[in-house]
Amino acid sequence: MSTQDKVEPTQDKSVASANAVVRRASDHVDDTPPRSRWFALQHRYAPYLFLLPFLIIFATFGIYPIVKSLILSLYATNGPKDQIFVGLSNFRFLLSDPEFHTAVWNTAVFAFWSVFLQLPLALGLAMLLSAKWLKGREFLRLAFFSPHLVGQAFVAVLFMVLFVPQYGLINNGLHAVSPQIPLDMKWLSEAGLVMPALVLTSLWMYVGFNMIYFLAALQAVDRELYEAAMVDGANAWHQFWAVTLPGIRPVAVFVLVTATIGSFQLFELPFIMLNNGGGPNNAGLTIVMYLYRTGFETGDLGYASAIGWTLALGVMAISLIQMRLTGVWKRGGE
Amino acid sequence: MRSFPFGAAALCILALAIISGLCLAFAPAEQHNATLRLWVFAKAHYDTYTKAIPNFERENPGVTVDLQLVSNSSLATRLQSAFLADVDVPDQVEIEISSAGSFFRGPLNEVGFLDLTDRLHQSGLYDKMVQARFAPYTKQGHIFGLPHDVHPVMLAYRRDLFEQAGVDVSKIETWDDFIAAGRRVTIPGKRYMIEMSDNSGTQLEVCLFQHGGGYFDPDGHCILDNEASVQTMLWYVPLVAGKNKIGGDLGSGQILTKAVEDGYFLTLVTPDWRSKSIENDIPRMAGKMALMPFPALTRGGVRTSTWGGTMMGITKHCKNPDMAWKLAQYLYLNKEDLAMRFRENNILPCSREAWEHPSFHEPRAYWSGQPLGELYSKLAPQVPFQYSSPFISTAKGKLSEALVDCVQQYKAQGDAGFEAFVRARLKRSADEVRLRIARNPY
Repeated sequence: MSTQDKVEPTQDKSVASANAVVRRASDHVDDTPPRSRWFALQHRYAPYLFLLPFLIIFATFGIYPIVKSLILSLYATNGPKDQIFVGLSNFRFLLSDPEFHTAVWNTAVFAFWSVFLQLPLALGLAMLLSAKWLKGREFLRLAFFSPHLVGQAFVAVLFMVLFVPQYGLINNGLHAVSPQIPLDMKWLSEAGLVMPALVLTSLWMYVGFNMIYFLAALQAVDRELYEAAMVDGANAWHQFWAVTLPGIRPVAVFVLVTATIGSFQLFELPFIMLNNGGGPNNAGLTIVMYLYRTGFETGDLGYASAIGWTLALGVMAISLIQMRLTGVWKRGGE
Repeated sequence: MRSFPFGAAALCILALAIISGLCLAFAPAEQHNATLRLWVFAKAHYDTYTKAIPNFERENPGVTVDLQLVSNSSLATRLQSAFLADVDVPDQVEIEISSAGSFFRGPLNEVGFLDLTDRLHQSGLYDKMVQARFAPYTKQGHIFGLPHDVHPVMLAYRRDLFEQAGVDVSKIETWDDFIAAGRRVTIPGKRYMIEMSDNSGTQLEVCLFQHGGGYFDPDGHCILDNEASVQTMLWYVPLVAGKNKIGGDLGSGQILTKAVEDGYFLTLVTPDWRSKSIENDIPRMAGKMALMPFPALTRGGVRTSTWGGTMMGITKHCKNPDMAWKLAQYLYLNKEDLAMRFRENNILPCSREAWEHPSFHEPRAYWSGQPLGELYSKLAPQVPFQYSSPFISTAKGKLSEALVDCVQQYKAQGDAGFEAFVRARLKRSADEVRLRIARNPY
């Protein structure tokens, strides 16, 4: 019998019981008027009443701006008052805009390194910190998670100081290890070093955060499966591939998708670390930074909306591809 | 309450949510009771205006001024948003020169500031101020901002280290003289003659203005690839890259303080406002620093350039523009106040009459007894024109990108084919700016 078959009778029971409650309430309404009718009315409309504040706020600050931005993306704008319809011209310009291409490339590179360094590191750390032999696990978990508590602005300022050429801790540390590394290495003002600096900073901030998800997932993996695998002669590596990874798969997919989306939304770290700009040769310009610059510094809201929509559709496409590749849908939307 | 099907707690939460929502929805908006609301971004300006405004209020009974300090990066964004939404727009604003152009986007009648051209000419102010400083705040011949400052540029240098190294400042007249001295004292990785960036256009821009170049011409056409720009780039890059470089860059803030104290940099490009920053940030160098005019391109040439600037604009939302104009004049033209302020922030005002005040001729101990105001005011009339555009931030970014590429090219190939590369690279940058200008229908 499959797991699904086992669950179904219980679900049937719950549904039947709920239906019975609803039937009893309806019967009651029919029998006794005014007070009970008032009760039934409340019963029917109370959920909508509860949902109403959210719906109003979501419609005002969610749906309206989304629709408005879609409309704006079809206009050349000078503020909200002056608009000239340009059709898909803003989107067409995206195709030939070298600055946008740079922003897309930088964001993709950041997302690639963030995801492919961040997730293995987070998983490795989670496995290490769930090992029973490790003393002070609780403290270490807090220590690794704590960078996430302080916020991106603080982390950005902190790393700006660490990356300072000539006098910064990182350069001095590297120089002490290998004297060939110059003290005046300019992490934040040399085009080739900007991206590594941003990736390093984000790793420090997010590895511990994603580790928490993996820790929770690892604790949910059935211990008996490990015992069975050991009886079958599986070594640690085989156990990882055959038991651990399938066991944490839903969480891993969730972390992968959210980390990718988060990487594509990168803004605060480079914005602060690169002094409100894109860094040398725009080496640290991300899509959201470019959107911000276009919309709020240049005042071209139409083009900024087109950038926003392209980003949203791109992230959606990447997330769908990831979910398809990781087989989430095949497994019934785990 | 007993008959509520989801229980009393849920009912309470719902009631609280509805009451809070109604309170928020109908709460009166923040009232600004002051006659004039003024945003400034510079702490130095804020501090001095705080002292000046009570006098203005006394002289104009019933008038109150709400002075607000907003950080520079936030100010531009907040003001853009305020203009877009027509909400919370201040009466008057001080805007930094590099952001000003972005507020002149769109048709002339859609600019969010009052046109001050007639007021300036009728009051005679236009002729009393350094006229080059109106250029960045002008669109199609209409002036939208009153210039706060002149910001002539000099070189601040470590007098003690120059003396030790045998560098005679009086013999440095041109850049050639300066570079020759620089090559003698520069020790790569340990000491550089001048702080000059190889990755951002900050100092390059100053040199570009001195060379007669800029980002835009008076009609708003991009000139990043004209001959002046090419020659400036060809001249500048070897100063910051290659084996003969004399310039280096570490960043700003505490690191710069340490670098100057350690003698890592011997000179700094220093407009008047930066002289105060140096005094504040590097106090231990008091008496060891001095100022010299910017080296000229050729003997007898212009010995300055310009870096930075601020304008005051009156927004179209201002209900009392005459009073706002009066306040702007009070803050920018009152001789006694300007003199007091110069002692506090070293910023040379745009009004030429103000420079006659004794405070501009006082020797300054920090600067080895030099009369700071006198030095800057002598150079002020030579300050070059610079023109702005709504695309100024794009153009600045493109110049920096071109610099980075030219530096990479020079490091890799040296002089071989460098001029052709610079011409092509600057043309690419200029074309990218032109492309953006071309797709703007306004």
